This record gives sequence, structure tokens and C-alpha cells, in this order.
Amino acid sequence: MGSDIFEIGVNFAKMAAVFLLMVQIVPMLVWVERRGSAYIQNRFGPNRIGPLGLMQLLADAVKFLTKEEFVPESSRRFIYYAAPVIALIPAVLAFGSIPLSSPVEVEAFQAWGRSWGPYVFPFQAFEMGIGIVFVLGISSLGAYSLLMAGWGSHNKYSLLGALRASAQMISYELGLGLALVGILLVYNTFSFSEIINAQTGALKFSWWGQPQTVAWLPNWGIFFQPLGALLYFIAVFAETNRLPFDLPEAEGELVAGYHTEYGGFKMNMFYIGEYGHMLVASALMAVFYFGGYQIPFLSGAELKSILGQFGYSPTIVSLLAALIMHLALLLKILLFLWIFIWVRWTLPRFRYDQLMDLGWKTLLPWALANTVITAVVVYVMRVAWR
Amino acid sequence: MDVSALMFYFFAFLIVAMAVATVATPHPIYSALYLAGTMVLLAFVFIGLGAQFIGGVQLVVYAGAVMVLFVMVLMLFDLQREVQKVTAHFGQLLLKLGGASAIAGTLVGAITMSSPMVLTRPGSPGESAPVISTLDLSRMLFTEYLLAFEVLGLLLLVVAIGVVSVARMKGGTHAQS
Amino acid sequence: MLNPEATLRSLLDVGLDHYLVLSALLFVIGMVGVLIRKNIIVMLMGVELMLNAVNLTFVAFAHFAGNANGLVMTFFVMVIAAAEAGVGLAIAVAVFKRFKAVNIEFFENLKG
Repeated sequence: MGSDIFEIGVNFAKMAAVFLLMVQIVPMLVWVERRGSAYIQNRFGPNRIGPLGLMQLLADAVKFLTKEEFVPESSRRFIYYAAPVIALIPAVLAFGSIPLSSPVEVEAFQAWGRSWGPYVFPFQAFEMGIGIVFVLGISSLGAYSLLMAGWGSHNKYSLLGALRASAQMISYELGLGLALVGILLVYNTFSFSEIINAQTGALKFSWWGQPQTVAWLPNWGIFFQPLGALLYFIAVFAETNRLPFDLPEAEGELVAGYHTEYGGFKMNMFYIGEYGHMLVASALMAVFYFGGYQIPFLSGAELKSILGQFGYSPTIVSLLAALIMHLALLLKILLFLWIFIWVRWTLPRFRYDQLMDLGWKTLLPWALANTVITAVVVYVMRVAWR
Repeated sequence: MDVSALMFYFFAFLIVAMAVATVATPHPIYSALYLAGTMVLLAFVFIGLGAQFIGGVQLVVYAGAVMVLFVMVLMLFDLQREVQKVTAHFGQLLLKLGGASAIAGTLVGAITMSSPMVLTRPGSPGESAPVISTLDLSRMLFTEYLLAFEVLGLLLLVVAIGVVSVARMKGGTHAQS
Repeated sequence: MLNPEATLRSLLDVGLDHYLVLSALLFVIGMVGVLIRKNIIVMLMGVELMLNAVNLTFVAFAHFAGNANGLVMTFFVMVIAAAEAGVGLAIAVAVFKRFKAVNIEFFENLKG
């Protein structure tokens, strides 16, 4: 946690800030979804409350909070109440381990009679050396909230919806993991910071052992793993139960699937969990395939030297560079979230057997093929000439 | 008392409590959920012991797949006719618990009363153990233990085929059908 | 055991012994689960608990000896335990479909 009180305090504040960031993006995301879907469907969205309908979410939150809390009489109480909470926890934990910007370096300063040493604060809630494996493991715990919600409601339709949803989730986790193995092969590391740092500058690859540079393309992961990126994107739609894979929670199919018996604020927590998972998925897409928080063609050191010309102290320079790169990451995340919303209101829904066929008979073989081809290409082009 | 000792006792207490709850809860689904909780906590203990990759694999494989399978299978069963949950005969129960306590006492006594084990490891005895990286682990898996690794893959293939063929037998999962 | 200060110090100085004791406790709890419960699936869960206790022993030794062999063994045990859980559950499902019971006392006589 830190060696002295300043570091511990900043780390605590960082954890709270990252959690609040995730929770605050969710209302904005719901607004974007409602207005965006209205725009796609050629109608107005909510536009009466507040300018452009921005306060609609506040009104909705008040509505949710003041609704009558009902509990089905024969439900299993503890599991029924615990399921929405457990829906939120994996998303928050996974979001906390993704680096949101470059580390902030605070140089030694004097305050209150003692000197506080130089610190380096990574711009994430906590740092894990095994970033990818941890995020995969934590997001696979999301299946429990579905199962607990379905079973705790003591309702046949909820149980069926929950079993379908969790079966879908664990089927697509395989494709997801295998698509990410391609990234591991290319970048040789589990940790997110190293993957992001390897995506600076212009596109550099080795062609039969000779390093080549393409100056007009950024050094992003998507150029190394195009098939992997596509497979990851499809798998992550199914992981977050988003259309076109949202049969388990579709209205009109199984009443409302696993959250039939939830109303009021408990259902809101399910939605926060779902949008939280979407946020984590978009952040991972940006980190693995689109350079993370790096601005294309401008590495962190160059940005800091540009900012240093204004005569700020190194602490302020590092903080400003981190904020600018954080904005770059947020832009990329917002782009992917918009694509999520766009796809939702464009494509029709898959039937359940089509969904499982796609996961096992299409995605998994292609992901395996991607792994094999990546391994062969990496060996022939890079490793064999060392 | 430093932080790592505090964390160890915190996790150890929770793990033992959840394990006892697994065994003692009458309803099987609650048992499965407690066991899943135990495995998640064990994954955190592994990460605290420096085996980060193994902790991640524990989360992905055990807590995220095996226990989800347990919970799904339990939810499909109609367990209304499950009346006998624990050994009926009280004398037998006492004998079993007594025997288990004797074994536990023997194990714990053997561990605490044995002489301090001299573990040979590189480096001076005072420094903390080196963090074993995933690279070392994978290098060992692919050189020294390659045969075992490949046999494991074959085992998984056989198990996958066997599980699908055994579970496809005819019959419903309702108690009354 | 007779010197309270030494006992307290050995309790606070978390070393290999503490992890081994925790693992022994988990193993015995799993064994108790297999012994006293009558539901097939809960007995399988007891076996899983025992395997996890063994994993904890291996990882603790690997950490305190700096040796990666323990982690390799853990990896193998984890994979085998997952495979065995799958097979056990498949058998339990097949048995339930045929006999409509998972209580092991139903199967105590070998006559089918």
C-alpha cells in the first residue's frame, strides 16, 4: 500500500477515484444509449428533463430509489439480495487493474518539516503483474451473479434464463481467452503496462529477422492481431450479454430472464454491473489492440518534454502528461462504447442454439487457428533469427 | 505485527469458516457457493504467496469454471426428496468426527513440533524468497515435465469426450418423471 | 507451549508452518465432508476441498523454498482435479437421471 502516510493516502484516494469513475460513466452511458438509439431509430430520445435530456438519468435514479421494494415471497432471501451486489464486484475489480494512464512521478518535496521521497504512482487502483489472467479470472466470476439471481428468485423462467446466460458466458470465455493468447505471444508479457509501452511510435515489425518500419501507421496491436481483435470483440459481446447475444435477458423471450423478479434499485445495480462490464471490455480492447493510453506517434517521453518547455516542475509535467493520455484513453473507450450501442440497435438477436453454435463451432476453432498461426509467424519472423 | 501476518490470519480465518460452512450447510447449493468463496480466497492467498500465475489460474479454472459447473448441475436437479443429509446414526457421527479430529491433531502437532525445516534455496537465509516468475514455471513445464504436460492434454481430451457421452443418457432431471 | 511469549512470537511470525497448518485443517474439513455427508455432489465438493488443501501445501513449499517444482505440481493437480470434477458430475447426472436419487444410502447395496 505504501511506505508512508502520503503514499497510503494517495493510494486510497486513487482506489476511490477509479471506482467513482466507473460508477459515474454508467449514467452517461445510459444517456448516450437512449439518445443514440433514438437517433438511430429516427425518433427523439428523452429531451425534456434538463438540457438535451441530460437530467433524465437523475430523474430515473430518483424513480428507482423511491419505488416499492418487493421481494418474492418464497425466494431465498440471502441469495436474492446478494446477487445484484455480486454483479457489480467483478466489473469494479477488473477495472481497477487496468492502467488508465502513464504513471505519475512525484519528485521529492519538503512539507511539514520532513522530506517526502520521490514516488511513482501507477495510474490504476492496484497493480498486478499478471494483468490479463487476473482480469479473465475475475470476469469469469460474473457468472455467479446470474446463477444466484436466477435461483434466488424461485421462479422457473428466471432459473432457465440464468442457466442459459451462464452457459453462454462460460462458452464465450474460451474464445475470449484464446484470442488473448495471440496478444500474449506477440508481446511476451502478462502485464498491461508493458503491453501498452510496447505500442509506442510507428509500426515496427521484423520481417524474416530484419526490422521494418511503416512510418504512417501507429504501432498498435490490431495490426499484429487483426483476426484476434475481431474474435475478441465478438466474444466480449457475448460475455457482457449484449445484443446480438442477449437472449437470456431479452424482454418477451423469457419474461425478463434472470432479473424478472427484481425491481427498483436492485435491477438498477444489475444494469450498472452490465455497463461496468461493457466499460471493462472496451478498456481492454483499447489496451490490447489500440495502444491503450498512448497518443499515436507521440510517446510519453516526447509529450513530457513538450510540456517541460513551459517551465513547470517535473511533478506537474508528469501529472499533465498523465491527464492528457488519460483523455486519449477515454476517447478510445467512448468510441468502443458507442460501437457497442450502435451494434445493439442495428443487429437482430441470435437464437440460443445459433448462439451456442457460434461460440463452440465457429469462434473456438478460429481462435485456435489464430493461436497456431500467430505462434508460427512469431517464431519464423522474430524468434528464429535471434 | 506486520501487515502480511494480519492478512494471513484474516484470510485463514475466512477460509476455514467458509470450508466449515461448505460441509455443514444442509442445502447443497449453499455448500457450492461457500466452496466457490473458499476458492476465490485461496486464489488471493496464492497471489499473496508470490505464485501470481497459479492464483490467476485458480480463479479462472476452479472458481470460474469448475464451481460454476457444480452450481449449474445442482440447480438442474430437483432435490426435494433429499431428506437424509448427514449420517443418521449419532454414534457413527461421533466416531467419524472423533477420528477426523484425531487426524487433524496429529497433523497439526507434527507440523508445529517438528524441528525447523532446513530448506535449501539459493541466497542467504535472511532475505525473502525470490518471486518465481511465470517464465521459470513455463520453462519447466516445457522442458523437464514435457511428457506429463502432453499426457495431461490427452487426459483432458479423453475426459471431455467421456463427460459429454456419459451425461447424454436418456432421462429427465425431475424427481417425479 | 509453556512459554507464552515465545508462543505469541511464533504465532505472529508467519512462516511455512502456518500455511501447512491451514492446509491440514482444510484437508481434514474436506475429509469430514466426505465422511458425514450423504449427497454425492457434496461429497465431490469435499474431495475438491481436499485437493485445494494439497495445492496450498505445494504453493507454500514452493514459496518458502524458492523452487518452481511446487508450482508445476500445483498446475498438474489443478488440471486433474478439474477433469475429475467434470467426470464425477457427469456420473452424478447420469445416476440421477436413472434412479432419481443422489442420496448415497440409496446405492449402498450393490444390487442394481
